[in-house]
Amino acid sequence: MKNLAYAGALACSLFATTSLTPIALTPVAAGDMTQERALNVAKEPQNWLLHHGNYEGHRFSQLKLINTDTVKNLKPVFSVALGGFESGGRYKHGNLEGTPIVEDGMMYVTDGWGSVYAIDVSSGKKGQIKWKFDPAVDRPWAGDVACCGVNNRGVALWKDKVISISLDGRMFSLNKATGEMDWERKIADPAIAETLTLAPLVIRDLAIVGPAGGEFGIRGWIDATDLNTGKQVWRTYTIPGAGEPGNETWKDGKERWKHGGGSVWETATYDAESDTFYQGVGNAGPDWDPEYRPGDSKWAASVIALSASDGKIKWGYQYTPNDPYDYDEISEHPIINAKVNGEDRKLLLHAARNGFFYALDRTNGSFVLGKQYVDELNWTTGLDPKTGRPLNYNPNTDVQEYSPGSHGSRAKPLSERLCPSHFGGKNWQPSAFNPELKLLYIPSVEGCNQVETVEQKDFADQGGTIKPRERFSGGGQKTTRPLYGSLKAVDPTTGEIKARLKLDYPNWSGALATAGNLVFIGHADGTLSAHDAKSLQEVWSFNVGTGINAPPISYSVNGKQYIAVLVGSRQSPFVQGLVPELKNTSTASMLYVFGL
Amino acid sequence: MASKIAIAATLVVLAPLACAPARAQAPLSPEEARAIEFGKEIYKVKANCQYCHKWDGSGDTGYGGVALSLRKTALTREQFTEVVKCGRPLKGMPYHDQYAYTDKRCYGMTRDDLGKDMPPMGEYLSKREIEAVVNYLFAKDVGHGESTYQDCVDFWGSETRQCEPMKK
Repeated sequence: MKNLAYAGALACSLFATTSLTPIALTPVAAGDMTQERALNVAKEPQNWLLHHGNYEGHRFSQLKLINTDTVKNLKPVFSVALGGFESGGRYKHGNLEGTPIVEDGMMYVTDGWGSVYAIDVSSGKKGQIKWKFDPAVDRPWAGDVACCGVNNRGVALWKDKVISISLDGRMFSLNKATGEMDWERKIADPAIAETLTLAPLVIRDLAIVGPAGGEFGIRGWIDATDLNTGKQVWRTYTIPGAGEPGNETWKDGKERWKHGGGSVWETATYDAESDTFYQGVGNAGPDWDPEYRPGDSKWAASVIALSASDGKIKWGYQYTPNDPYDYDEISEHPIINAKVNGEDRKLLLHAARNGFFYALDRTNGSFVLGKQYVDELNWTTGLDPKTGRPLNYNPNTDVQEYSPGSHGSRAKPLSERLCPSHFGGKNWQPSAFNPELKLLYIPSVEGCNQVETVEQKDFADQGGTIKPRERFSGGGQKTTRPLYGSLKAVDPTTGEIKARLKLDYPNWSGALATAGNLVFIGHADGTLSAHDAKSLQEVWSFNVGTGINAPPISYSVNGKQYIAVLVGSRQSPFVQGLVPELKNTSTASMLYVFGL
Repeated sequence: MASKIAIAATLVVLAPLACAPARAQAPLSPEEARAIEFGKEIYKVKANCQYCHKWDGSGDTGYGGVALSLRKTALTREQFTEVVKCGRPLKGMPYHDQYAYTDKRCYGMTRDDLGKDMPPMGEYLSKREIEAVVNYLFAKDVGHGESTYQDCVDFWGSETRQCEPMKK
C-alpha cells in the first residue's frame, strides 16, 4: 500500500509539471498547518511558516549555508513576474509589502490588490505559479480610502488552507492545493473607510486582523474569525467605549472616541505561555489636531496585550499620549526573555515610530527601559526612567505641548522641524532579532519634516459636515527635505546601539536576520543588501532595478538555502520627489529568489 | 533670495472666487470630449494630482499635505499653468516641467537660486499634457461648485461603488 501511494504521488508530481488539472495540484509532501507546528517553527528551519518567522516576531532564519563566508557567491537564481500594480482609487499603481510564506517547497505571496499566488519553488531553478486567486477588489472603492498605498502584507496557513485578506475588507479561506475558495467573510467596511492590509495572525483556529483607516475617522478594532466556520468569534475595539478603561482619556465630552482612530495594520506577536498577543495600535484620529481630542487618546499610539481566546485587553501601554505627530505604533513587538540588570525579565520590545526603543515587561505592561535609536529626535527631551513617559508630558493638561515648534496647533498651524519625521523612526517595516547574538536590527527612516494642523470638523453623525470616507486627519504632513535611512543593531537589554549604518534612502523593507551572521534589507533604489550581523558592514548586494518595500525571508529546499523578496514599490511621492536619481524609476511586480 | 522665494510661494495663493461663473452646457464635440478625457487621465493616474487634491479637485489634507481646492482657485489659466509647470517652492506642490529651474522660466529662478527649497519633482509632463490637464480642470473643476454624483460617475465610471455615498 505504501508503494502504491508513493507511485500515485509520484505520478501526480510528474503530472504537475505539465498540467494544471486539480488532481495535479494536490501537494505531495505538504502537511496540514497546525498549532503544534506554529509553536515549533524552529523544528522546520527549511520553512518560513509564520509572518514574522515565529510567533515571537524575530524574523530570524536558522539556516546558515549562506553566511559571512559564502554570501559573496549569492546570486539570483530565478524570478517570477506577478501582477497587482493596476491603479485604483487615489493610487497610480500598486505596491508590494508582503512577507512570503514557504512550506515544503511551496511559496505563498500576495500583491497589493490581494491576489494570492501559490508558487512551486521546489526545483530551485524557477518559480512555477500553480494557482492564483484574485479577490476582484472594487479598486476605486477600496483604494480611495487606503491611507498609504495599495497594500497587502501576506497570508497565513491553517490546516490545508491559505488564509488571505483583501483591501476591501474581506477574509478568504482558500484550498492550499488548488486555490479554490472555501469561504469569504466581510470583516472591514470601506463604506466607513475601513480597509485590511495586514497578514492574519492565526492562533489555533482563530484568524486575527484589524483595519487601517486612521486618517478617515474609523474607530479601530481587533477581530477574530473562527476558521472552521468563517464567523466572528470576538471583536475588541482599540479605542475603548463608554465605561471601558481608557475611555476617560477622551475628554472632549462629545463622544469623539467614536471616530478616534487606533487602526491596526501589522501582524501582532504572540506569547503561547500566557496565550497573549501584543498588538501595536495606530494614531488617534484626527492625526494632527490634538485640540479636537483633549486627553491622552488611549489606546492610540500604544501597544495592547490581549487574550487570544476571548479578545479581552489585559493591559495597555501608550507611547505618545495625546499624540500630535501621527506617531502610529502598529509595528511589531518582538518577544524575548533576557536578563536586565541581572534580573530575568520577560520582555516585549518595540522600535517605536516616535524614535525611541522600548522594552516593556510583557506580563504587566510596565516600562523596563527606553532609549533613542534615531539619529535626531527633537519632540521631547527624553523618557521618564520610571514610566517611560515623554519627559515633557504634562499630567495637568489635556492637550500636550511637547517641544516647542515640533508640532502644529490651531494657534500656530505649521510646525517647525519635527524629528523623527511623522513617517518615523521605524514605520511598519519589521525589525529582526538574532537570538544568538542577542541583537535587534532596526531598519528606519531618518530625518525631519513638518506637520500642519487644520482644525478638524465633526462627522455628520456628531452634528458636523464630514461624511464617511472623507478625510479626518486634522491637517497634513510637509516634507521638503530628503529623508535618509539607517540600520541599527541594538542590545535590547540596555537600548545601547552596538552598530549603526547610514543608508542613502529611508528604509521601507524591514529586515531579515540569519544564523549565517547576516542581516538582509531591501532599499528604495532596488538594492538588496546583506550585512555582517555584528558590524553591519555591507558584505553583498544585488540591484534588482526597481524599489524594494517588502521584507526578505529565507528558506531551503533539498538542502539549499534561498533568500526571497518581493520587488516593486510605490514610494511616497514626497520622498521620491526629493531624490533626483530615483525620479525615473519604473515600477514592477516581481518575486526574486537568490541562492548560492 | 528668501524674499524672492516667498514671493513665488505667495504669488499663487489660491483665493476663493467670489462666485462661480455661470457656464453654458453646450455639448462637446468628439474631439473636445477626447481631449478632456486625456486630461482627466493625467490628473487621475499619470501625474496623480488627485492623490493630494482629491478626485474632484476640492483639496484635501493628510499624507498629500494640506492641498488647496482647485475648484475655488482664483488663478487665471496662465497662472494655473505656471503652477503645474513650476510647482510651488516651500509649499509641497511639485513641478511637472522637466526643465523647470534649469533656466529662469519659473518665477525667474533657477535650481541654484532655490537650493534646498526646490519643490519636489512630479511626473514630468509634456507641453501638450500640461495643456490637457489644465483644460480638463478648467472644464470640470475650476470655478465649479460642489461636485455632484454625476461628476463622480464621470470621473470613476459606473462599475464601482465609489459614487454611491453621493447618490441622493
